[in-house]
Order: sequence, then C-alpha cells, then structure tokens
Amino acid sequence: MTPTFQLRRRDLLFGAPALALAAPPKRPKLAAICTVYFKHSHSQHIVDRFLEGYGWNGEHHHPEMDLVSIYVDQIGKTDFSKDRAARFPSMKMYPSIAEALTAGGSKLAVDGVLLIGEHGDYPKTEKGQVKYPRYEFFNEITKVYTASNRVAPIFNDKHLSWNWAWAKEMYDTAQKMKIPFMAGSSLPVTWRTPSVEMPLGSKIEEAVCVGYGGVDSYDYHALETLQCMVERRKGGETGVKWLEAYRGERFWTAMKEGVWSRELMNAALCRSHTLKPARPGFNNIFPTDDDLRRLVKNPVAYRYDHTDGVKSTMILFSGLVEDFNFAARLTGQKKPFSTQMYLPMPPARTSLANFFSPLVNNAEKMFLTGQPTYPVERTLLTTGLTAAGVDSLFAGQKRLETPHLSGIHYQATKESTFWRT
Amino acid sequence: MPKRVAIITTLYKYLSHAQHMGDRFLIGYPHEGEWHKPDLQVVSLYTDQKPAGEDQSFDRAKEFGFTVYNTIAEALRCGTNKLAVDAVLIIGEHGNYPRNEKGQVLYPRYEFFKQCVDVFEQDGRAVPVYNDKHLSYSFEKAKWMVDQGKRLKFPMLAGSSLPVTWRLPDLELPLNCEIEEALMVGVGGSDPMDYHALEAMQCMIERRKGGETGVRRVQLIQGDAVWTAGDAGRYSKQLLTAALSRSDTPQGKTLVDGRTQDLLGNGELPKLVKNPAAYFIEHNDGLKTTLLMLDGAVQDYCFAAKVRGMRGYPSTQFFLSPVPNVTYSACLVSKIEEMFVTGKAPYPVERTLIVSGALEACLTSKLQGGKVLDTPALNVRYRAPKEPQHART
Repeated sequence: MTPTFQLRRRDLLFGAPALALAAPPKRPKLAAICTVYFKHSHSQHIVDRFLEGYGWNGEHHHPEMDLVSIYVDQIGKTDFSKDRAARFPSMKMYPSIAEALTAGGSKLAVDGVLLIGEHGDYPKTEKGQVKYPRYEFFNEITKVYTASNRVAPIFNDKHLSWNWAWAKEMYDTAQKMKIPFMAGSSLPVTWRTPSVEMPLGSKIEEAVCVGYGGVDSYDYHALETLQCMVERRKGGETGVKWLEAYRGERFWTAMKEGVWSRELMNAALCRSHTLKPARPGFNNIFPTDDDLRRLVKNPVAYRYDHTDGVKSTMILFSGLVEDFNFAARLTGQKKPFSTQMYLPMPPARTSLANFFSPLVNNAEKMFLTGQPTYPVERTLLTTGLTAAGVDSLFAGQKRLETPHLSGIHYQATKESTFWRT
Repeated sequence: MPKRVAIITTLYKYLSHAQHMGDRFLIGYPHEGEWHKPDLQVVSLYTDQKPAGEDQSFDRAKEFGFTVYNTIAEALRCGTNKLAVDAVLIIGEHGNYPRNEKGQVLYPRYEFFKQCVDVFEQDGRAVPVYNDKHLSYSFEKAKWMVDQGKRLKFPMLAGSSLPVTWRLPDLELPLNCEIEEALMVGVGGSDPMDYHALEAMQCMIERRKGGETGVRRVQLIQGDAVWTAGDAGRYSKQLLTAALSRSDTPQGKTLVDGRTQDLLGNGELPKLVKNPAAYFIEHNDGLKTTLLMLDGAVQDYCFAAKVRGMRGYPSTQFFLSPVPNVTYSACLVSKIEEMFVTGKAPYPVERTLIVSGALEACLTSKLQGGKVLDTPALNVRYRAPKEPQHART
C-alpha cells in the first residue's frame, strides 16, 4: 500500500489535520464499520454488494475494489458477518475500528471506509431517537486518519447523527481534514416511477412528500426524498428557516386549513402503488377525508420554510401507503410535478432490497475517484431537519426557528444520480 | 354526453380482472399524478359466473347505476332492440372453466366476442372492443376475431398489461433497431403467465427493423434439456444473465440470508428451477427469441436483447406493482379508455394475435414432446407504434 494522502506541513503547523487528497489507487481497499450484520440489515445489503456483486446495467457487476476488513459492533445469534468472512477470506474481521482500518498494523491500510450505523440494539434518547453510534464510529475513523497522516473517503449510511451538534462536527471535521465524504438514504438514488428528474433551475414554490414509517426513522428518508428534488431549484439550496411538526388531531386540522397544499398531497398519493383500499371489495380507491382519518392512526407532518421562501412538507401516512411519493408546484406549470421514489422492499414484495444497488454504485464512484457524486450538505440538512422534527414534536408541536440550518447553502449536481439505466 | 360502455366478463369478484379493470371505469384510477375519472359511463354488465358470496355484479350495478343483463346481446342493447353502447370491454379472465389437453384454460373470449359481432351485424353498427389478455386459446379463433374487426371496421385492442406497465429501467428499444437476439424470463403457470411473458417480449421486438414479420417455427422444451440447450448456445447466456440482473426476486440463498446472487454464474439456477421450460420462437425475418419460464429462480418478468450498435445488453424489468392496487392495470385501462374515446387503438391488435398463436403453437409442441413445429399460419405482419406506449409520465 502506497500512502496516497500526505499530511501537509502547513496543516501540521496550524494544528489542523487537513490532509491533502491524491489520486486513489486503481483498485482501492475498503473497510466496513458496522453496528450489526444480520439478514436485511443495512450492512448486509451494502457490504454484500461489495462481496457478491449485484445486478447493474444488465450484468452482474463486481465493484473494482476489495473489501478487506470489517468491524461489527454487535455480533448476535442472527449474525452473518462470520459467514461472509468465511466465504470471502479476503475480508478479515477485526475486534476494533482502529484495527479494521489498519488491518491490525499501525497505519491506515485502506483507501475507503463504509460507515454503516443502522440497526442494532442501542439505547434511545428521551425524545425517542435511537443513539446509533455513527458519530463515535466516525471519530474512531478520523483518529486513525490523523495518526496515519492520511485520509480516505468515507461513505456514511443514512443521516450523520441523531445529535445535530455531533452531525455538524462530523461535517466540519471532514471539511477540515479534506475527507471525501458522502452520506444519505437510498431514496434519492433509487428508481422513480415515472423516471423523471427535477430540471435544474426549476422555479419551485412548494413541495410535498408523502411517505410512511416512524419518527426518527423513515421521516429521514422522506426528508431526503424531498431534498434531492428541491435542491435542484433555481439558486440551489439556501437552508431552512423554521420547522413545525404536526401530529394527531392537530395534523387533521392543519390539513383542512391548507397548511400544506392539498393538491400536492393528492398528487403524491396518486403516485403510490400501495394505497390501502378504503373500502372492502375495492382494490384501488382514492380515500376520502373520513377514510384518511380511519386508516391513518398517527399522521405526522414536518412543515418547513427554506430561507428563499420555498415551502416543504414531509408527511408520514402509515396505514395508508407504504411508499415514498413526491409532488411539487412549479411556477407557471398547471399540473404538479410528481413521481414515486420506488423501493423494491423485501420481504413482502421482493427478496432483494435493490434500492441499495444505486447507493452502493454512487459510493463506489467516490472510492474510485475521490469525488463524492452528490453533496454531503444534502444529508447534513436532512439530519438537522430530522432532529428538528423530533424536537418540535417533543416540544408539543411547536414551531422551531432553525438558524443552525439556515446557513446550509449548496448546489445540486448537474447530472442526475438516481437509478435509470 | 359521455360514451356508453358495456362490460362483458366471466367473473366480477374482488381482484378478478373484471373488478380491478372494470372498477377503474367506475371510480377512476391514478394516472400521471392525478386521480383520473374517465369521461365514460358504464351502462351494462354481463357476468357469466356469479359465485354466491363473491360476485360483485349486482353491488356495483346498484351503486353505480347500471344494469346486469342475462345475455351479452341484452347487455349490448341495454334491454332495447338496438345496439345501445359505444364501446365494449370484454374480460374473459378468471372463473371456473375447463382446460384442454395443452393445459390452456378455455375462457370463452371468442364466444363472447362472437356474440358482440352478431349484435353489431344485426344492428348495422359496430363499436370499439377491448379484449383482455390473449384473444383466444386457439389461433384460428383469434384470427377470426381480428378479421371481424377489419371486416366490420371497428377498432380493437387486446392484450396484457405488461407491455404498458412501468419498466425498471424505463427502456424502449429504438424504432427500427437491429435486434440480433432477444430473451425473456418469466414465471408462473401456463397458459396464463407464459402468455404475459411472451407479450412483454413481443412489445419490445416488434420495434425492430422491418417490423414484425410473423413466426415461422416454434419449439417448447422442458427439464434438463433447457440447460443443455443453453450450453449448446441455443440461447445466449449473456442475455440470460442480463435479464436475471434486472430481477428483484432471486430465490434460494437470497431468501436465507439476503445475499445478492449471480444465479447463472454461481450455479444455483438449475438447482432452483425444478421444471424449466424454454419457448423457442423463430420469426420469418430470421430473428430468434427465447422465453425461459424459470419457476423457483425468480418471481418477476425481465427482458434482455442484443441490439446492433447498442452497448452491452439492453434489459429491463416489467414492473408488476404490488397487490392489491396492481397499478399496472391502471396503465392498461388508460390505453383502453384512449381507444374508447378516440376510436383509435394505441397499438396494433396484431401484437396480441401473434402472441396468441405463438403460445398455442408452443403448447402444441410441448404436447408433442418438444417437437419443432413449422407455423406458416402465423404469418402476422405489422408495425410497432412510433411512440412508446408504456407508463413513463
């Protein structure tokens, strides 16, 4: 292994561990740092694709890189990491993050890191957030980087941390140390039905995502669904001013009062493939307001304003749908722009969670080029929005000013990065 | 005044084709991000079998204000003595009907259609007819049906929802492309599901240079001979790998521990598929296509082709969206509505005709122990529509 990222003298002088980025090796070595490795855990979905390959562009694609080491924080009865290490002897298991990154030596021995802190038995905060140790894992990784005078790209699955301050610190550290850093959900990169992209520079007035699932869990996926579309608007992302959460009866009142666009909510629902039939004997029927109330026991919305005035609303309609649907109103367009971010979701509908394929493919590109394929600021913002949503609910559905999110400005990539080939 | 529609069906119960397609004319359906209500009025219904406790014919008639008639002629004339509808929806799918020795369910589509044609002739007026799925288990009958449409000059549409559903990815082969070989992977029983798979393949290959030229020869083989044929190059293993790479449902080890699999490369395919079948179809212009029915390996419908000038193997999955919404049938109903409203079929009924015939011939070959059969009667020539017709907006 040749050291490719050298610590610069100036960085040493100023004490900031900013490490220069050289070209990654032709066939990078990777480490996977995971919380668990059981069937259908995120680690299994992601790491398996590096080991076993996956269907891509009409072939069974094997990433041009080697996953050589793995750390698994919780190895329980349902663990498959030992099975994988036995079947793929090129991948060694290590009892600590540092050892996984150094392959048991003293220096960083990999060229890329997968940080998969999802699933597993971790305590909850008083607000109900699972304390997945992504921040802690990240710090372990960067400690090795600093000690080795070298950095390597990091792909962080899902949001950065449940704790905003920690998430921001992860982002700042990556910036300071010049670590190519990517993160996020598979929602922005999965298939869309229809397969459409928000045109770059669109004049978006309002956007809605209708999804399902729980708070501090699928709300984050729905926020990423929204964000990967609205970030393409004219001027790019400008940050978020405030957020207000709605739940239960207050949600229904807000819906009636038009706190978010009913037209957009309905358009999103019309993209669903999983509308729960509101009447027995009918397989696909549009719900009335009474049906909504009956089917959705615990509706949740996060209404938030971007600093340029764009309105976004994330809605969780568990009991009504089991997919993520997006709709937006664009200036001058009569009909809403809408699509579904389609998740082939096991075990009910598929056997493979193939929405992880485009996620892995984007991470692969970063490991090969040292360049993230989309900005981590998207996930920094959705991390902050998820925490703000939780906080607003915890504070009795109060509107919360979000000055810490108003400074997150970034531009979307010109090229689409979702799955369409 | 909205146009008047008669529904002629074998069975109207929850999740039957008549229910999930017929209902869309009554309550609307999701289309291009809206809940679309067709400007059409269902005025009459004929249901051949009404099992107690399951039949919905009378419930629907009561709620939506139409009449259930005892005969097809009465349904078309709405109790008067003249044809009183502007379009007919024939859904001869589901219900208790016998099978023939080839394993085909003898749905009375031809019989239903013939009774409609009789009314058209007697009353001196013909209206557009949609026939769900293949035209008939018999090519001869299917051919007669299409000929009547031509003779009496009424628009006809037929077929499966696979050609018009979402595709993952949204692939359409360029019109007039040069297809060197095509392969389809399907699953499920014969003759319902092999038909769907064949029609999915047909909507792709009909776009080739010269258009569809007809089928000259077919063969259906089963069992280990299918794998031997692959080894002998009878179908392309690269195409099979490409098609399988589009599947979201590999079985076997994926079910055990979630792993991704290269089912052909890792040798699992023959272990998973207890009774494979290969449908070899040779077209008049020399194009060879193969349908592999691989029960046990996957649970979805995927296509791959080798196309001159296109890199790799263009391939896609025909997305059968989940039950109960089966939104793919909304994609089909939108096409039916288009024909009812405009009087123009958005794609040629000959697609379904040739698939009806190729399927019957393949099943005859199967009955004869995998004999190669020449099919001079399947000289069905047509051109694909210029514009893609599948769901993409």
